[in-house]
Amino acid sequence: MSSDLDTQIQRLRRCELISEKEVHQLCDKACEILIQESNVQRIDAPVTICGDIHGQFHDLIELFRVGGECPETNYLFMGDFVDRGFYSVETFLLLLALKVRYPDRITLIRGNHESRQITQVYGFYDECMRKFGSVDVWRHCCDVFDYLTLAAVIDDRVLCVHGGLSPKITRLDQIHYIDRKQEVPHDGPMCDLLWSDPEDISGWASSPRGAGYLFGGDVAAMFLQVNDLHMIARAHQLVMEGYKSMFDDTVVTVWSAPNYCYRCGNVASILAFDDHLNKEVLFFTAATQDNASTLPSRAPALDYFL
Amino acid sequence: MRASSDDVVRGTNDDASLSRLSAVTAGYLDDTFAKLFVRRPMRRNPIINRGTYLRTSALDKLVSQFAAVHASLGRPWQLVSLGAGSDTRYLLMKTSGQQPRKYFEIDFAEVTTRKAMALSKPSAQKLLGTAQPGKGGAELYADDYCLLAGDLRHFEQELVPRLEQHGFDREQPTLFLAECVLVYMLPQDADRVLRWTSTHCPTAGFIIYEPCQPDDAFGQVMVQNLRGRGVELPGLSQYPDLLAQRTRFLNLGWHGATAVDMDQVHDRHTAAEELRRIAKLELLDELEEWRLLAQHYGIVWAWCEETKGDGSTASQPHLAHWQLPDYSTTTI
Repeated sequence: MSSDLDTQIQRLRRCELISEKEVHQLCDKACEILIQESNVQRIDAPVTICGDIHGQFHDLIELFRVGGECPETNYLFMGDFVDRGFYSVETFLLLLALKVRYPDRITLIRGNHESRQITQVYGFYDECMRKFGSVDVWRHCCDVFDYLTLAAVIDDRVLCVHGGLSPKITRLDQIHYIDRKQEVPHDGPMCDLLWSDPEDISGWASSPRGAGYLFGGDVAAMFLQVNDLHMIARAHQLVMEGYKSMFDDTVVTVWSAPNYCYRCGNVASILAFDDHLNKEVLFFTAATQDNASTLPSRAPALDYFL
Repeated sequence: MRASSDDVVRGTNDDASLSRLSAVTAGYLDDTFAKLFVRRPMRRNPIINRGTYLRTSALDKLVSQFAAVHASLGRPWQLVSLGAGSDTRYLLMKTSGQQPRKYFEIDFAEVTTRKAMALSKPSAQKLLGTAQPGKGGAELYADDYCLLAGDLRHFEQELVPRLEQHGFDREQPTLFLAECVLVYMLPQDADRVLRWTSTHCPTAGFIIYEPCQPDDAFGQVMVQNLRGRGVELPGLSQYPDLLAQRTRFLNLGWHGATAVDMDQVHDRHTAAEELRRIAKLELLDELEEWRLLAQHYGIVWAWCEETKGDGSTASQPHLAHWQLPDYSTTTI
């Protein structure tokens, strides 16, 4: 199995597709591994954490160049592997293959885009149909999404989650009670973890995204205190500079999709924690500035108003 | 063979039509005519739908305010849409009985020919009434509507005489509309249009919708990406931001000008209940991206008005109060 898997990883690294049958097998294997993970997966430093990738395959390869290859570097990806970019299939399958091959060296947590509903609007569904001609690959991948864990804690000190906090969760152990093996709900604690954003307010406010909440520095401070944590690391929001620190460095946003949607002109980052939880932010820009060489020839039009 | 730059500019109209139909299908806009102009519908990204909706509804508000000013004075008015493409505004205004005395549309012959064909479909034909075709099917002349083929680079020499031949009256209040049009022209060509209209139309409004901010990170990628598709924006380096656009109008003889970007249109000039309604239509996955995009497009509207004073004090120009409604004081 592992030599087959290594071959698949090699092909996926070259941005080549694997067969539908191989996808099926890979997804089954992944589910077997993911089902054993806790809703709040414990991870030991050193680890390098990454934000949204969004199907920007060539930039993921660039990320590995900057942060080191897996398994040499221990990775935590905080969701939003798919949608928007043109290579969501290759991106997700490569990450998944690495997960199956090196389950202790890469952790994948769920983002708000790892959802049946969102992927039908933002591109992953269409991409699967375009590349495989049937809904099966999309279905298998969505089944895997349901098994992805919701959060991770590094050395009992740093909580990693895709979006942010929930007014329904004051203690970490409340996350454990969530039955995560389902489509992302429209509201409730699981939805909030994947959709919320920190904001310069006090307390809670409704989110203009239409899901999750905005939470202030006081909310974050209280949560960290109650749970004896130092920091919340999250992704979910485009940051032009790639990295953003808020509330006295207690909440940080890591964004790992450079020139997001081949259009935003932003820088990307990953956050490396060493053995002692000292952190270093590594910045990187798009693998190529020339869209023509990375965009598929039949890619949908870029979104501007003309 | 590479398409000529004129062909590419004509092609931008297809993109705009697709976007409008997508926004209609997703429930943002109500426009039964949008489908007349699209052969193969395509779903656009939610932020594009949102932008299309905000642009359309902001322009609708400005147009109906302009109309209301002249209606209250009992003055007939006219509208000239430059680079009108497959815009459905005339049909929508006629449906609601708000159409001006005459509605003129101008575009390249390749575009107007297709428009004339689309307007011959029953739902449009019924509204239009008897329309005389001209120029081998590239033009249409009806009582309150006139579709002309021509090149805006020759506005004064070629188009003005043809407009006047079909009932354009420079003495009558006139609203000029140019949505994503002037930016594709060389600034000196576009400026000649703005100068002519402010000089020869004593009471007029001019609304443009344009990209802006080409020099920041998003703007640079925008210019580069569009260039990759053969779309050049020659007007953008000359008038890179809203302040420059405002100054442009004032320098070209307009009495007043206001400019807002689409982010402001969203935050300040859209009613809270409308924002709530569109937020429910599609989940917006990335607000920062919306803001970035919205900060790179803007609406500029300018007016000039002949005021008849009694010799000592001139009366206030009516168009000085031509504004988008401001909801920024109400909490969302």
